[in-house]
Amino acid sequence: MSRTVASTLVDELAADVLPEDGAPWLDARRADALSAFRKMGVPHRRIENWKYTDLKTALEAVNDSGAGEITWKIASVPTGVELFDLANLANAPDWVQVHLGKAALADAMPAASLVLARSGFAIRVVKGNAVSEVLRLEFSGAGHARALIVLEDGAALTIVETRTAGTGFSNIGVEIVVGANAQLTHIRSAAAAPDAIQVEDVAVRVARDASYRAHLMNGGAGLSRLNLRLTLKEAGAGAQLSGVSVLGGNLHADVTTEIYHAAGQTRSTQLFKHVAGGKSRVVYQGKITVAQGADKSDSRQTAKALLLGERAEADLKPELEIFADDVKCAHGAAVGDLDADSLFYLRARGIPEAEARNMLIRAFLEEAVAEIADEAIRATVWKSVEDALPMAMAS
Amino acid sequence: MLEIKDLHVAVGGKEILKGLTLAIAAGQVHAIMGPNGSGKSTLSYVLAGRAGYEITQGSIRYNGEDLNALAPEERAAKGVFLAMQYPVEIPGVTTLNFLKTALNAQRRARGESDLDAMSVLKLVRKKAAALKISEDMLKRALNVGFSGGEKKRLEILQMAMFVPKLAILDETDSGLDIDALKLVAEGVNALRAPDRAMVVITHYQRLLNFIVPDRIHVLAHGKIVAEGGKELAHELEAKGYEHLVGKAA
Repeated sequence: MSRTVASTLVDELAADVLPEDGAPWLDARRADALSAFRKMGVPHRRIENWKYTDLKTALEAVNDSGAGEITWKIASVPTGVELFDLANLANAPDWVQVHLGKAALADAMPAASLVLARSGFAIRVVKGNAVSEVLRLEFSGAGHARALIVLEDGAALTIVETRTAGTGFSNIGVEIVVGANAQLTHIRSAAAAPDAIQVEDVAVRVARDASYRAHLMNGGAGLSRLNLRLTLKEAGAGAQLSGVSVLGGNLHADVTTEIYHAAGQTRSTQLFKHVAGGKSRVVYQGKITVAQGADKSDSRQTAKALLLGERAEADLKPELEIFADDVKCAHGAAVGDLDADSLFYLRARGIPEAEARNMLIRAFLEEAVAEIADEAIRATVWKSVEDALPMAMAS
Repeated sequence: MLEIKDLHVAVGGKEILKGLTLAIAAGQVHAIMGPNGSGKSTLSYVLAGRAGYEITQGSIRYNGEDLNALAPEERAAKGVFLAMQYPVEIPGVTTLNFLKTALNAQRRARGESDLDAMSVLKLVRKKAAALKISEDMLKRALNVGFSGGEKKRLEILQMAMFVPKLAILDETDSGLDIDALKLVAEGVNALRAPDRAMVVITHYQRLLNFIVPDRIHVLAHGKIVAEGGKELAHELEAKGYEHLVGKAA
């Protein structure tokens, strides 16, 4: 009998052997990750946070092909960016040793990738260096990978990450450290991957007066989970998150964000728009926690889903936990069909129904894509939206 | 041009129009007045083809054709235009792009070729200036953040661009101050033509000082209860609807 991906994963993490790759400084973090994983196990639907994304069942249904490693590619390293290949851990510079694997224990999957990843990279932009050239990153293949992105104080960088479709199970753990006054823009675009199970965990720490802006374009997969865990550590830290999921067929996409306002005078905004057609399922979970004493923090969260198929499903779960007294929190979530008044208005002006629906669906998504400030990048992301729309609109 | 006979319309199973009969010839402007709840908006929606308005009896003929057999977009292409009481806000669709898409959709349906972006822009600019609609408004999302007056002026701009054969104005005067009202009325009057009919639906006589109708119909409880020339508006202004509405009940 062939083994499933699920059993391989559990077996690999049951062995009391840490990788011997000449990085003893990572041993303790890996040992902690190992026990964290063993405690949590492969996530399944009875774990609240994974209720709509049953990873365990999905992994049990896939035979392990023993497929190699995730490949990452940075076509050209912009001037001002230092790159280190994690395959070479024995020679890791200090800044990698300081940060790698510090934020891997919150969930089973980043814990697993910290122990099992044999590929990955780390990049750094040093203090005060604003990099104008866009860093283009591509992940492909199956397996586990880690990435570390460090922006020192006052640094600036824009990353465009693409995830190719591929097949099999992939689990990527990304850690992002944004230093004081630094600015990181992170655009992620994942093409529709019906034959893949894709998990990505992004843990972000944002320091004083720094900002993290992200746009997550999701074409869905057989099962897809993007977990964005973000801590606004100090006053003045801000995060602006937006994203679209455009799904059809039997695809699934889960975007889960957890934002922790650890300090006062921090702000976060979220705008997520989802379109689900066919028998697809789109999930958004957004948890905002405002710590005790994090006064004058401001968080806004909007998540909307448009169902284009009678058998499509959307699960939107906003969640607020507020322990401070003087805060602003606004959140809204709505699932629905196209607005009947808008549709009638356009048709009464002579626009045929199919074209009117097209206009409204694009307008719905456009609002979130418009959050991308850079025009060229916005156009690229919009192209991925256009690529994904025909499948979502076919019923 | 428009011939409505014994029209009964139900919305959600409730009969709103209860045997309305009305005929409007090309070149004429008719006003339909009536108190709130008399069925004025139902009439406008049923003419434009909104879903959920069921004709249970009677007929609407437009240039001899059964209007009810046509989809809203087909009616628009054939020259029916409804200036809505509550124009819809559509985020993500710019006003200019909407105008171009709508105009070309109507042209295509009539077998005409598309106008290119430059020609549309020229046309829009020409018509917009008279209605004091700024370039900035045209670049914004359709009706989003527009004041009540701006929304109504945009409705009239569309009417001017689409040059309909039958224009229905549903309470276009509501929420307008006197200056905006005059602007809108000038826009409407500019479109009066021998081959065009207009239906002005209003609660108040005020608008009819600026758009002088050929004929006034008073609608109450889903029926026409009184008809007359433009002097009827002044009578209503003086006496109110009570004495007419009472008759129908």
